[in-house]
Amino acid sequence: MNKTFWESKWAKPISAFISIFGFLLIWHIGVNSSSLGELMPGPIDVLSRFVGSFSVNIGQYTILGHALWSLSRVAIAYSVASFAGVICGLAMGRYPKFEAAFRPYFEIIRPIPPIAWIPMAILWFGLGELTKYFLIFLAAFSNVTLNAYTGAISVDPELIGAARMLGASDNQIFRTITIPASVPHIFAGMQISLSSSWATVVAAEMVRSSEGIGWMIVSGMEINNMQQILAGIVAIGLIGYGLATFMRFLERKLLVWNERGA
Amino acid sequence: MERTRSIDNVLQARDISKTFVTDRETTHVVEKFDIEVKKNEFVVLFGPGQCGKTTILKILAGLEKPSTGEILLNNQKVTEPGPARGYVFQSLAIFPWLTVMGNVEYGLKVRGVSKAERRERAQHYINLVGLEGFENHYPVKISGGMKQRVGIARAYCNEPDVLLMDEPFGALDAQTRYLMQDEITRIWEKEKRTVIFVTNNIEEAVYLADRIVLLKNCPTSIDNEYIIDLPRPRSNVDPKFLTIRQEITEVMDKTL
Repeated sequence: MNKTFWESKWAKPISAFISIFGFLLIWHIGVNSSSLGELMPGPIDVLSRFVGSFSVNIGQYTILGHALWSLSRVAIAYSVASFAGVICGLAMGRYPKFEAAFRPYFEIIRPIPPIAWIPMAILWFGLGELTKYFLIFLAAFSNVTLNAYTGAISVDPELIGAARMLGASDNQIFRTITIPASVPHIFAGMQISLSSSWATVVAAEMVRSSEGIGWMIVSGMEINNMQQILAGIVAIGLIGYGLATFMRFLERKLLVWNERGA
Repeated sequence: MERTRSIDNVLQARDISKTFVTDRETTHVVEKFDIEVKKNEFVVLFGPGQCGKTTILKILAGLEKPSTGEILLNNQKVTEPGPARGYVFQSLAIFPWLTVMGNVEYGLKVRGVSKAERRERAQHYINLVGLEGFENHYPVKISGGMKQRVGIARAYCNEPDVLLMDEPFGALDAQTRYLMQDEITRIWEKEKRTVIFVTNNIEEAVYLADRIVLLKNCPTSIDNEYIIDLPRPRSNVDPKFLTIRQEITEVMDKTL
């Protein structure tokens, strides 16, 4: 059977490639043939700066070093936040009194952007790593908690009935039904939280830091180096995309039983 | 119709009624429902569409509390769900994160049966329902008919005194449904159990039942009972089969 181009598996990657190449071309022509060039470096400048920064230090580290600094901050605070969030969320699902007492805090804290806490965080935790951990923690904690809670209370009652008919006690039902049934919700919360953690670490580093991708951008601003700023922005985008892809990969591996994962 | 009252009764329901009360209205779903089920009897609760059959079955299971009346299981009053009654759900209610084996052995596992023993017993029931080779498949990877077999094996594996089945084949296509009716007859003949089976399909009722309990519509109560003593396996084109089917259909049409 003859498949048209749009049905072939190459349609998507080729379309994406043409689109990106076209965008870069328009950018290049625009910068070189108009006064836009005064506001913005061309794509070749930015990409060569981006590639070059893998071997040439910006400040104390190469771009890879800065990325690792930012990622390690996220890794530490996000792990703690996810762990605590899962426990809190499931506990709220299990114990209605606990939920009644604490859920309002999470609902109020969730819509506050973590960067709004920066002044208070600096006052409380100083200018070091703790402030950054605190902000990333805020970015992840309430989302993971509320998702885990939603997962725990939205278990299909027929599944709980089935377990009860088979002889499971309340504790066994929580352990063998509620927790596994909540995992897809927990995972969704962790995916959103990882994105916001990544966005928050950049913001936190822009306020006060001497390394990290956020610092790269601020230092580019201070020395008036637009190539460095845009190279940093490209790195943020690529790493953010990489993290989201990694989470989807993990979901497919860990949730083979789920429709979405299958 | 004269009903036997004997010590052989596995399950008895006495004077069950169920009323749902909301802010706006009071709905009588079940009224004065009595039943006695003998050991190894295959009873079909048959009645039209939305008439509280599931509610009766959930009350018999202990999943719903009756407004009045009581349930006796082996002459003991029961008020909570428990493993002496197995339940096969209309919605399947298979645990999607467990494999076929994990689902079937779940009841034994939560009741503390050792791994070697529960594997052996679960394997026996997996084979009985014809799912050998699919032990390690997740439910998402198997068909609707196979999922219903998992539900039946899971209920059987707990070796309950009574199996309650709520329109288990309602969601299946006609072909699979006939196949599963043969299967349930074969399984029941091979390992006798007391079964209470709910359906709104008259052909299915006559095909499976020792006794059909015809239910009246909302509020649900018993209209009549029919003993079906045709030999198994039955044929749905046998003249006797068609006569019984016709008789029950006519009575039902009058009550509607």
